[in-house]
Amino acid sequence: MTLTSHKLTINEKLHILADAAKYDVACTSSGSNRRGKKGSLGNTVASGICHSFASDGRCISLLKILLSNECIFDCKYCLNRCSNDRPRATFTPEEICTLVIEFYRRNYIEGLFLSSGVVKSPAYTMELMYQTLYLLRNHYHFNGYIHAKAIPGAPEDLITQTGFLADRMSVNLELPTYDGLRTLAPNKKPENLVKPIRLIQNGISRHRLAIGKDPRMERSESSRFLSNTIFQTNPYLEAQHEPENHLSVPPKNDSSVVPSSFVSSESNSAFVPAGQSTQMIIGATGESDLELLTVTQRLYQQYDLKRVFFSAYVPLNEDSALPSPDTAPPLLREHRLYQADWLLRFYGFHAEELLSRDRPNFNVLLDPKCDWALRHLELFPVEINRASYEELLRVPGIGTKSALRIVRARAHGNLTFQDLKKIRVVLKRAQYFITCAGKMLHRFPIEEDYITRQLTYESSDKNWEISHPETYRQLSLFDDFHIQGDVTVEDTSKVLSGQL
Amino acid sequence: MTTIFTCRDQFDDMMTCIYDAWASRLGHSNIRLKAEPIGNLELFCEYRHTESDPSKTASVIRTIHKKISHRAYIMVYRAAMSDQEDKLDAIYRFLILGFHYGASIMERLQDPAVMRLFELDRKVGNESHYFREFIRFSSLPHNVLISHIAPKSNVLTLVASHFADRMPSEHWMIIDDTRQLAIVHPADQDYYLTSLSEQDMITLSQTQDDPFVDLWKDFFEVIGIKERFNPRCQRNMLPLWYRRNMTEFMTFHN
Repeated sequence: MTLTSHKLTINEKLHILADAAKYDVACTSSGSNRRGKKGSLGNTVASGICHSFASDGRCISLLKILLSNECIFDCKYCLNRCSNDRPRATFTPEEICTLVIEFYRRNYIEGLFLSSGVVKSPAYTMELMYQTLYLLRNHYHFNGYIHAKAIPGAPEDLITQTGFLADRMSVNLELPTYDGLRTLAPNKKPENLVKPIRLIQNGISRHRLAIGKDPRMERSESSRFLSNTIFQTNPYLEAQHEPENHLSVPPKNDSSVVPSSFVSSESNSAFVPAGQSTQMIIGATGESDLELLTVTQRLYQQYDLKRVFFSAYVPLNEDSALPSPDTAPPLLREHRLYQADWLLRFYGFHAEELLSRDRPNFNVLLDPKCDWALRHLELFPVEINRASYEELLRVPGIGTKSALRIVRARAHGNLTFQDLKKIRVVLKRAQYFITCAGKMLHRFPIEEDYITRQLTYESSDKNWEISHPETYRQLSLFDDFHIQGDVTVEDTSKVLSGQL
Repeated sequence: MTTIFTCRDQFDDMMTCIYDAWASRLGHSNIRLKAEPIGNLELFCEYRHTESDPSKTASVIRTIHKKISHRAYIMVYRAAMSDQEDKLDAIYRFLILGFHYGASIMERLQDPAVMRLFELDRKVGNESHYFREFIRFSSLPHNVLISHIAPKSNVLTLVASHFADRMPSEHWMIIDDTRQLAIVHPADQDYYLTSLSEQDMITLSQTQDDPFVDLWKDFFEVIGIKERFNPRCQRNMLPLWYRRNMTEFMTFHN
């Protein structure tokens, strides 16, 4: 902590603080739609805009930095834990503003993602973040996207005021269970995590009511046509005050903690218009996919979160409570969870449908929707020219866009398999589950074993390669062993075999 | 014998061409439309060049709005910005059906003519969205921002309003290097489309020293997680040909 930053240049600070922020995944710029205005810089687009893609294939949308990587906490999984010996740096608010404005003008970024280690105290840190955003909005006239972290344990007034400047706020849950939190993040109190989430949620709904909107966040367009989504059949809507006990997230406090003035304090800005999000680490502790997905669904229903993000655990620290440092990041598992998350938000699925206590984890070989369809073959095949939108959405290989196109087009005449291909239905998967005008594409038996084999067949070579990494090989005259290279087949298979 | 109506590759000219082709009364199956330049001439065809006529152009645009819809017009406009050879003919075939069926034509994806226009529209729409993301400006003295792009479709007019809304009080300019066209936006004024001379292109191609370029490149390097290195995914999301004019992928020689 004695390594202070006033001697560092802005280049060095950016290097240190972007490096420290990269493990945060909640880097989207979506959910907020705001026109530009004369004299200001920037607007926001509801769909969000990616501006580049980093070497790991992840989208770069916002300038993702920490305000400071000094931290008084000692969370075991975190690179910036206070017991790690690392170069520390702290931005001044002006430095952040300059970076944001100049990057934005050059169309490098869509806005700012500001997080921070806990400097001195949560209150002090939140204050610094608030100052930065205030300066950026009011002195630099920045009108683009801002995502700010709420620091757990910070005073409610500060979080609320920050909410009027930001588009999205988030509190990272990191670990979905009490036990996980206790072992890996001893300084974070679970109730401290939930309090700001509840505070922001109440703020959002009050603000929305005040401007004449539904108190709950808008959900995807396509779910208008569905009858039974997790947002519509929401047990927490009626039972708002029942105590909960069976899950990690402790009972919420009553809403009296919210300051009464939620119709914008100073300017006529909105309160967290893009909603709030959170992030969970996958694979650091022993949760099953079922637990993770149930918590996710609960967060959507109970706390009206806009997004829940998953982050495959990358070993950074050595600690007896953590997985060993050579653990590969569980990328496939993260991918499956995101697929399931989409099924919850856009396709009207519920967590209980996708996983159960007997099958608490996702199938490695099949995506969650295929997996679900194979267990419900009694519902298939579905007739493309008659099935409802809801039924179409549940067919593997048909997405929200293609389902809508099908529904619209078939009003003007029957659709054939050729048409479906052009409409961008993935026939490779869909063909086993659909008929066009009463006929399947070929005479497939509707049998679980057969279809499973067919669906996994394409990846079977790859799977074999993954489970048998280079046991024998073609002899070569030249020494092509042990050549230094970037990524080898072995590396790729290692990544995946961690899964299998 | 087929008659082929040709015109310059500009929206106004194409609309006039559609008007003339229609008014020729040769029969839809006996004519084809093509935007210039015409590569190989076909045998047994008569080529007729049409010149842009504002009143004919306006007439076609009005008819599309009246008989089909504004959405159809947007779709036709975007398809006309495509680089595909058959685009003008595709628009013509679409309009024949559209004038017959009216607004419901947008949903009839099972018709090959509608599907083709839909595909052209999607392709151009996607490309212009990519350019909204991947356009990079460099800052010149006097706070002028300049961007060079080399898109396949003519996306300039499709991306301009996006940047005009987001940077209303900045001077900026987006230059299409292949077509030698530019969108120019003076601060706090409306933008306009203009074509550039060779001399302009040379003057505008000079690069300047900019401290934020290095900052951005360093940020771009450092934000990737080594343990998740995945260039294939990166290529899927950001195809190589877009990277030609992107700051973070350029190697500077200064």
